[in-house]
Amino acid sequence: MSSSDSSSSSASDDPNPKLKPQPLESQFQSSLTLEDSDGVARTDDASVAEQQQEQQDEGSGNGSVDGVVNVEDNGHRDSSDREEGIGSGEARDGDGGSGGGGGVVWRRANSEVELEVEAPASPSSSGYAGGRGSSGASSASRADDASEEDEIEVVGNDDGGAVGAPDSQAEWTPGKRHVDEDDASISWRKRKKHFFILSNSGKPIYSRYGDEHKLAGFSATLQAIISFVENGGDRVKYVKAGMHQVVFLVKGPIYLVCISCTEEPFESLVAQLELVYGQMILILTKSLNRCFEKNPKFDMTPLLGGTDVVFSALIHSFSWNPAAFLHAYACLPLPYATRQAAGAILQDVADSGVLFALLMCKHRVGTSLKVISLVGAQKASLHPDDMLLLGNFIMSSESFRQVTSESFSPICLPRYNPMAFLHAYVHYFDADTYLILLTTRSDAFYHLKDCRIRIETVLLKSNVLSEVQRSTLDGGMRVEDLSVDLQQHTGSTSRVEDKPHTETPERIRESSLVGLGGPAGLWHFLYRSVYLDQYVSSEFSSPINTHRQQKRLYRAYQKLYVSMHSKGIGPHKTQFRRDENYVLLCWVTPDFELYAAFDPLADKALAIKTCNKVCQWVKDVENEIFLLGASPFSW
Amino acid sequence: MGMASVNTASEGMQLCIFDLRRGQQEGQELDKILFFFPADLPFATQLSVIGLSEGLITFTRIFSPDAACEVIEAERHSHVFFEAESDIWMVMVVEKSKESKAACQVDALRKVLKEVHSLFVLFHGTMRSMLEKETSGGLIRSHLYPFITDYLSDFLIGKKLQLPSFHDCLMERGTVQMLTVGREAAIEVQDDTISLFTYAVLRLTPHALSSGATSWSYLQRTNAGSQVPALSTITNSGSVSDNIYRSRDTSLDQDNNCQVKRPLHHNRWFRGNDGFLASDIWGADNGSQTSVTPIVYLQLTEERMYLCAYQYKSLTIILLVPVSSILNGEQGLSLVKQQVLENVCVLSVPASLKMLRVEEKLSKGWGGENAYHVSGYRYLLVDDERVSRASPPAKVMTLAKDSLLAMSKLREEVNLEKKAKCSSSEVNCDKELEICVRAKNGAWVIARTSRGKELYMVLEKASETLLYASDAVEKFSNRYCSGVFSLD
Repeated sequence: MSSSDSSSSSASDDPNPKLKPQPLESQFQSSLTLEDSDGVARTDDASVAEQQQEQQDEGSGNGSVDGVVNVEDNGHRDSSDREEGIGSGEARDGDGGSGGGGGVVWRRANSEVELEVEAPASPSSSGYAGGRGSSGASSASRADDASEEDEIEVVGNDDGGAVGAPDSQAEWTPGKRHVDEDDASISWRKRKKHFFILSNSGKPIYSRYGDEHKLAGFSATLQAIISFVENGGDRVKYVKAGMHQVVFLVKGPIYLVCISCTEEPFESLVAQLELVYGQMILILTKSLNRCFEKNPKFDMTPLLGGTDVVFSALIHSFSWNPAAFLHAYACLPLPYATRQAAGAILQDVADSGVLFALLMCKHRVGTSLKVISLVGAQKASLHPDDMLLLGNFIMSSESFRQVTSESFSPICLPRYNPMAFLHAYVHYFDADTYLILLTTRSDAFYHLKDCRIRIETVLLKSNVLSEVQRSTLDGGMRVEDLSVDLQQHTGSTSRVEDKPHTETPERIRESSLVGLGGPAGLWHFLYRSVYLDQYVSSEFSSPINTHRQQKRLYRAYQKLYVSMHSKGIGPHKTQFRRDENYVLLCWVTPDFELYAAFDPLADKALAIKTCNKVCQWVKDVENEIFLLGASPFSW
Repeated sequence: MGMASVNTASEGMQLCIFDLRRGQQEGQELDKILFFFPADLPFATQLSVIGLSEGLITFTRIFSPDAACEVIEAERHSHVFFEAESDIWMVMVVEKSKESKAACQVDALRKVLKEVHSLFVLFHGTMRSMLEKETSGGLIRSHLYPFITDYLSDFLIGKKLQLPSFHDCLMERGTVQMLTVGREAAIEVQDDTISLFTYAVLRLTPHALSSGATSWSYLQRTNAGSQVPALSTITNSGSVSDNIYRSRDTSLDQDNNCQVKRPLHHNRWFRGNDGFLASDIWGADNGSQTSVTPIVYLQLTEERMYLCAYQYKSLTIILLVPVSSILNGEQGLSLVKQQVLENVCVLSVPASLKMLRVEEKLSKGWGGENAYHVSGYRYLLVDDERVSRASPPAKVMTLAKDSLLAMSKLREEVNLEKKAKCSSSEVNCDKELEICVRAKNGAWVIARTSRGKELYMVLEKASETLLYASDAVEKFSNRYCSGVFSLD
């Protein structure tokens, strides 16, 4: 089938009315890649490299789905440098691509991962880990969190001990670990949380741990279970055995499976599988289904080659990012005027043919990415899950993370339109702050570059970037400050409005380090605004200090969320839950949801009062902590 | 209540028992099936249910070697697993009803499997021992078929099997409902006590729960154990289920078919000549008119005991007499029974004075059907997973469906928490837990666990505040649970 054929069929098949008619090229691009790989897949032993070569040889432009066009500002990049980052010299100065120009570097994530696999012991030499290593603080503080997640269930037997021990010291590095394992390894069997993607013919596509190729037999077993139940006219949802749960999700020709003993409820795990599937769609679009229709034995691993790191980062975020279960996003706290200024310039750009413009920021250690501002063209709206997946894709792919460089990459927003690619222009202003401009046009690179320059100028002029940095240092709401508000100021003052270096809060924060948490034993809270699709989370403070404790609290919230939103009978209105770890209070109204954690000995009446005060506090400062008005979220 | 209806109205449920140590050779798969309901399902279908179950048992052991598959939850069916004895699995496949798709009471269903197995062991000993006695499997099959079919007939309502559902979230199968008696009078509840209690409720007092203490038809004195004229018209159900296992195992056990005892056969107890309850289920002694006294097996020691039941009005006394301590069978036993009656009772009056007093005391103290109703509360109190007390079912039925669904879901959550706690390395399995949920319909749905006791409560008419609901629990706790769930 010629590529022009497939492009037209792609256009006519597209059921989504949301997307405005696209230039042919972008349609062309999505289908082309898949066609290419389809062809590769038929030649059975085609290696990833060969496939890449094949695509390159065809010279058909942006053939790579996972490839990212990386444009250096200076237009030059030392070739040896490129060798290291890219591997086998597949980078080339693009002259055939639509975004082609003198300084365009084609980057391929898969080669980089190969590097990492080959040399896991010296991460600093690999493209990924080196980049991560530069943000050293963040990696280090994530360590115990990561090691726990990565830990095998029971340490102590001879095999497990050997594998478990190095992990507990290791930093969380993105990308796949334990590739040497397979389903025969005891250590593999004892990992707490497995994720698998496979095709309906049983071909492994992704496994969180172990080498996919070695897991072919295991993958076939999973497929057999699913199809056995399917043949009986039913669809398997989960299997339970002891503390283990095996959760299945069937998405057309794609099967997703999670095997976990983390005590997370089924509903949470299936939501996580949905996100993993969404991440795959973000990289490939749903038109990959057609490849399976044509060839049930279609092997899509080459298409996803090198994206291991994206999936493992997403899976890792399931243990610390509330956005993953709240289906909401967080904003960086900023003075109202600052956010307005940022929004105005983004709006300006959106009016000039950009579909979405997002100014984002990676906020502090271990916490999620936060939105500074975002706008959508006309009635276009962005689902929080799409933002999560897009943010994860960009932050986990080292290719994007070169400060002052620009990247241009095809991506698909699964909730917006799972059938079509958009094109993302990504630029980092500094290590943590970046801009994403999304367009339907694959030839819009230079236009978007111009937009970025305009935006950058305004952001600098209006001090937005320095405000962002200040806010990043200051952090968000602190439960300790609630007592200050209640007892001294009573009213609308807030941590966010405080000048950064006033003496009072400092003094109080010191004393609160001795005491535990906020008033009435309040340790932490999450507040989700239903209409805004946004949430705010208080900063972790004593006694929720370690990552292990934070993860446990996160899991408790997640359980509470599922319990409140129980299918068929929910949402419940209120829930009070006391166990040996916490008192948890949850309050769901049509406007907001509040999740609060208290000392397990907290007094019920006082806890309720405190929750009311938290809600009042959030309302008082909503101008600063939420992105208000001109909301594009009009579902 | 014929077995035929059980058979035909079964599209909603399948129950199988299989032995993983059997039929592992290609072509011999049928050998692993010990029981399948409905029996008229094609073998291919039976094997496919068992094949899936076996596959998942093997699969889950990869990750969870100590606790293999417990449940497969699919969109339309739940498959509930119970490893009754080592390598002998019971699997129940239940079609989900439309209204309760979200809340299938898996734990309650597993307790059904556990219950039928305990009862089987009570009367026949373990399945494994029976398999070892007769390795072809004919013996166990011929026992399982009538036993389980008789058991399942209890779940028949009209032509449909009514298995535990969210409606039953405020009761606990596999527990003994204790009368409030003095501590010295209460017995320690063991596994055997639960089985015996279950059996007594199922078969010794079939009318007590539904129609009060007025009609005790099986107490009618009859002359011959083999004739039950008053009841024979109702209990002609044997033939159908006999056919079920006959058709399956014709070659194997046509000969000993008649010897298969059916302890769960309905309405087969009557008052014997000696005043004790008797049944022809176990046959009659050669040459004598007295029916054979049933022998039961104690679970832990597998000791064999004679089961002797005596009834006076609404009082049932069960005596277990070790078989080993009676030298000459029925004759010796009747001596023992006589002694019991002479010592405990005086035969000249309808019953003994002592027994009369006990009966009087209990029936005075027991307020009947609604004895445990506490106005304003719908509750279930479980002690140590063995003893329970609950609002009468008729009162629970007044609750809104949404409240019941919410409670059903909450019980599932609590069970998960308990399981997590027990599986963690901590020695102490007791979970201190307090959950108060205000459901969408405004009802408070509450669970408390403390020191081995569990309290579940639905308050539909409580006011809006959490504090009010907590207060109501506190009052209940102080009054009925000796303050176990009180905060101070």
